[in-house]
Amino acid sequence: MAHKVCLIRGDGTGPELVAAVEHVIKAAKVDIEWIEVEAGLKCVEAGKPIVPDATIQKIKEVGVGLKAPMTTPIGKGSVSPNVTLRKRLDLYACVRPVRTLPGVPTPFDGLDIVIFRENTEDLYAQIEYMATERVAHSVKMISDFGCQRIIRAAFEYARKNGRKKVVGVHKANIMKIADGLFLRIFKEIAAEYPEIESWDNIIDNQCMQLVTKWKLYDVLVTLNLYGDIMSDLAAGMMGGLGVAPGANFGDKCALFEAVHGSAPKYTGMNKVNPTALLLSATLMLEHLGEKKARDDIEGALIATLKKGVKTYDLGGSATTSGFGEAIASELKA
Amino acid sequence: MPLGEASGPPQKGNRPMMNLHGVDVYLWHQGTPDVPKEYGAMRLLFISNRGTKVYPPPAPDMELLDWPRCRYLSDAEVTDADIDALVGHLTGLGWKWTKTQKLFRKDGVDQFSQPY
Repeated sequence: MAHKVCLIRGDGTGPELVAAVEHVIKAAKVDIEWIEVEAGLKCVEAGKPIVPDATIQKIKEVGVGLKAPMTTPIGKGSVSPNVTLRKRLDLYACVRPVRTLPGVPTPFDGLDIVIFRENTEDLYAQIEYMATERVAHSVKMISDFGCQRIIRAAFEYARKNGRKKVVGVHKANIMKIADGLFLRIFKEIAAEYPEIESWDNIIDNQCMQLVTKWKLYDVLVTLNLYGDIMSDLAAGMMGGLGVAPGANFGDKCALFEAVHGSAPKYTGMNKVNPTALLLSATLMLEHLGEKKARDDIEGALIATLKKGVKTYDLGGSATTSGFGEAIASELKA
Repeated sequence: MPLGEASGPPQKGNRPMMNLHGVDVYLWHQGTPDVPKEYGAMRLLFISNRGTKVYPPPAPDMELLDWPRCRYLSDAEVTDADIDALVGHLTGLGWKWTKTQKLFRKDGVDQFSQPY
């Protein structure tokens, strides 16, 4: 029976990326019934919310979604479609695996880290005011509940996937109340997993250690803003946003996405690297229990990269569709 | 290197003042409170929890914490006394509030963010 998956084709280069990924998944012979749902700029232009309620309801009903990059309109009153989806679907765990890919040279050999970023609280609650004519005020909202579930998700992931270490990342030396709450709960939950080595680091130190001692780290768990910044840093270490996958998990549904933007200036040019969305799709296949297809696609991707077939961001000249076709051909070989 | 020039006196000019139009009242209450839908010129625009709108429906299927935010807003300008009266009214009804934040507009533009 086909797996049902909601599909958001995205803005800018999103539809081109989706087409390449659909082609590869088809070549991997995974039976997926794509259910297209709308979100993004087209909705705004049609006078609808950037993520219509019908889209939220459909993803809730189906339970799984794949999302291409979308554009956040700049201007007053605009909200991010990505954050809207995470918040309204309560996708509290942003999971970003970063690892060295054969064929994508970086100075960070042996990189293999999974970052768990809390996705629904912190400054991303977007509670902001001009308090006076001269003072802007953002509310950093951290709850015990929010900390507990992301920290537990990280430890559970480590336990189930044979990961040995979990590090909690914070700035509790300065934000003693908000980050102090995260740190206290991290220590409480860590005590429930004695087989997993755990300690905590301050975010600035963690960033320095990521680029100097990356092999020390295994699973990192942190708050929303630190996770946003640290996961892009780690994506750069992996080879760039063009190859960095992402997944957002809640208790009832999961949404898989490339972490880069919609690259509107390249729209229609068949140029952007589909690897990030493809690897996000392999995370989705794993979630759906299609582990062989996941392994097959990753193997075909690596074989393609090793042959030197690369898009412009990795120093090659392959097009989006051409790169997808090359991976599909490897799958058929 | 001294940077006295960078932290000179605050800029002054003919910038328009912010006008008061309402208040966000944060309650200590588990769930979505059944607070008055309007008070004076202000009406209850929404209730949010963890930054996400939970009233009016549809409410997202999410865990609610004990810190809902009730936004009361008026199209017309209101006074500090109007805000005091609203907050006092909520207290009188038995609601425990933990924080309030006045809502300003400047040149008709909201000086506050919207919920998800």
